[in-house]
Amino acid sequence: MIGRRRYWRLKTKLLFLTLFTSALGIALVCASLIFVENQNYRKQLESELHVIAGILAEQSAAALVFEDNQQLSSIIASLKRIDTIRQACVYDQQGNVMTSLSGRQQGQCPSVGPSLEIGFVGDAYRLLMPVTLDNEVVGQLFLASHLEVLRGHIRTFVFVASGIGAVILIALVFLALRLQRIVSEPILKLSETAERIAQDHDYSIRAPVSGTDELGRLGNTFNEMISTIQQQNRRILESRDSLERIVEARTSELSMANRELEAFSYSVSHDLRQPLRAVEGFGQALEEDCGDQLNDVGKDYLKRIRAASVRMAGLIDGLLILSRVSRQSMENQTIDLSQLLEEITEELQGISDEVPTEILIQPGMWIVGDSRMLRVAFQNLLANAWKYSAKEEKRVVQVVSRREGRWVSVEVRDNGVGFDMRYIDKLFVAFNRLHTPSEFGGTGIGLATVYRVVRRHHGDISATSQLGEGASFVVKLPVAEDQG
Amino acid sequence: MRDHLKYLVSLVLSLSLSLASAHASIRSEYEVKAAFLYNFTRFVTWSNGVTVSEPLDVCIYGDEPFGDLLAPLRGRKSQGRELQLRYPSVVADIAGCDVLFIGQSQSRNVDELLKMAQSQKGVLTVSDLPDFIRKGGIVGYVKQGNVIRFEISLKAAIEAGLTINSRLLELAVRVLR
Repeated sequence: MIGRRRYWRLKTKLLFLTLFTSALGIALVCASLIFVENQNYRKQLESELHVIAGILAEQSAAALVFEDNQQLSSIIASLKRIDTIRQACVYDQQGNVMTSLSGRQQGQCPSVGPSLEIGFVGDAYRLLMPVTLDNEVVGQLFLASHLEVLRGHIRTFVFVASGIGAVILIALVFLALRLQRIVSEPILKLSETAERIAQDHDYSIRAPVSGTDELGRLGNTFNEMISTIQQQNRRILESRDSLERIVEARTSELSMANRELEAFSYSVSHDLRQPLRAVEGFGQALEEDCGDQLNDVGKDYLKRIRAASVRMAGLIDGLLILSRVSRQSMENQTIDLSQLLEEITEELQGISDEVPTEILIQPGMWIVGDSRMLRVAFQNLLANAWKYSAKEEKRVVQVVSRREGRWVSVEVRDNGVGFDMRYIDKLFVAFNRLHTPSEFGGTGIGLATVYRVVRRHHGDISATSQLGEGASFVVKLPVAEDQG
Repeated sequence: MRDHLKYLVSLVLSLSLSLASAHASIRSEYEVKAAFLYNFTRFVTWSNGVTVSEPLDVCIYGDEPFGDLLAPLRGRKSQGRELQLRYPSVVADIAGCDVLFIGQSQSRNVDELLKMAQSQKGVLTVSDLPDFIRKGGIVGYVKQGNVIRFEISLKAAIEAGLTINSRLLELAVRVLR
């Protein structure tokens, strides 16, 4: 029952509360009035009967002692006028019935004794009064009055009381309907406002507030909270807008700078080739056409000039590749890395020195990325492994792959000279070389290119080495969502 | 058959016994008169300044018809006064009586006795002599069929300085005023 009431509307609850309480009150008042009235009426009836009995007893004392039944009958006959008296009997000292009220439907006079019930018995009030003369009991007077009048009176009283109660209750219904609004209206308005705000996300709406009671305070607090939310919202929106503007500006600035830089490096590399080709071409022409006019010193200088120009061409190529891997758009696809590596090592072996080589490539390695860029990256890594292990008796190059959570790592290991871990910071920076050109040739751009490619694939690269113990480069690439 | 007879006999016996006991409960004429005599004293007020502590003298004059029926009255109280029974044998002895019952044997001495009583004042005279109240008595027994009743001479009572309760007057067959 209470569980169901929980889902009543506030109005209904308030109405129920008011009406239930007042109905209970009215019912209690009516009940107590009826009870009191009943008691009073009974007392009144009792005292009336006692007065009547007293008068009769006093009147019949003489007749009793002189055993004058005629006189007794005439005394008792006066009771005929009282409708409520049902039975009246007079007993002598020994308890014999002297006379009784005739002309009434009645049973026999009850015998006097301790078994005679006195007071309100069933639907009658019974009274036994001793008839005394000089303080001596000379007989008994028995009266029985039916309670129909009392019943009728109480019934009428109950009807009137219930009628008045009902009228009051109806009046209270109207009153409660009006008065409950005092409490329910502000709450309903507040709840409506809250719902509207939640629905429309319109924080400019305010709840109407009236009065300074708890409901008024609630409304005020609610409004304050809403305005705080409104202000904070505005601030968030403002800061988001400004952030967006800043990001936009920065992005455009950055991309412009990037484009300029790339264009610059491309044009530099491109334009540098032109004079270099001239240097190389005329160097070659000088050697071929005027070689015999030069002495040995001149020939040595010329050879150095040509070697430098070749190195510079390599440098420019590296720069072009670096700039290309930075600029190129990416086309991601699944690549059979094992096969790619096989192809690269075949190329490397084709141009290779005499060092016996053992290549161990784990079969069945698959990665996702731009195949051209990744080819450049792994070509660089393998070429490095080749190059720095050229002075070993036997070259060993190993490529293995591991899956680490959302990453796949590919390790390229060689048994070459390795590098000093102190200079690890400079390893992936362009034009930084850990070995002198006399030891190992190179441009210092290869690992920078590898680094750039890996970063563009949102991956990471790390290197570990010990001098003379070989080096290990680990490329970590993220696993694509659809890749098992 | 014999059992039935036995039953019948016992039934008849018990019936006759119960009838006998019923007869016994019916009081004799003088028993009623004795009770009345006592009851008269309860409805009469003596106005000659007697106090409660004084006993109420009830004198029975003439040959005694009550036997020992009056014995229960001895020592009983009427309006607070203790009853005393006296049996005076000569007229002079009735002095000091509050109630004087004159027996039927004294029909010739009634006038003398009444005169004596009237002169004494405050004497309730009672008798079952016929026409007693005409002769100047106050209360007289009369017999109506089987029922004993009484008549009262209010005049004589007032002359004797007695007040008679109206309740008693209501019950009287006849009241002389």
